[in-house]
Amino acid sequence: MTKLAEWLLGLALLGGGWATLTFDPLGLRLPLAGRQLLWPLPAYLLVAFGCYSLATVGYRLATFNDCRGASEELQTQIQEARRDLAARGFRF
Amino acid sequence: VVEVVDLEGAVEGTLATGADQVVGMGLVGFSLVVFTYYTIWVIVLPFVDSSHILHSYFLAREYAVILPAVAGLLLVLLVGTFVAMVMWKNRKPAKKID
Repeated sequence: MTKLAEWLLGLALLGGGWATLTFDPLGLRLPLAGRQLLWPLPAYLLVAFGCYSLATVGYRLATFNDCRGASEELQTQIQEARRDLAARGFRF
Repeated sequence: VVEVVDLEGAVEGTLATGADQVVGMGLVGFSLVVFTYYTIWVIVLPFVDSSHILHSYFLAREYAVILPAVAGLLLVLLVGTFVAMVMWKNRKPAKKID
């Protein structure tokens, strides 16, 4: 099975389980607190994932160290490339 | 601190790691606040007695789904507008055949 199929199957199973418990077609009558927690769960998981993503991006931005040598090397290469292209008639 | 230079070698600016750290940790802090508030709203409140004062700090439960949905739609609108603007700016006139 492909990864996509795996993910879709997993989502379908979780979604099916959530729908069964939320819309209560079986008439199981779970405790009120449980049902109140359950119905916003998909939205909660999405928001939690979004917060995790934002925090990861922010943390890696804050801890990414400068590479001075690589930066200078890159600048030289950029200037070299611009000169080369300008010589070949490329207009910027 | 790294310097940015142009074709003539003149210094155009500096990359301030300090600003990166402030913005980065700001994002982390913001994410933690949102996550904590939202977790209390969705996960904790159902188990808290309805007469408890904690409920007064939170809107009705429906908004826990409506607000993120609206925010998500707004985000899609903004990203879509940005993409449309960039594509419009980069449109090339059709070639004329002599």
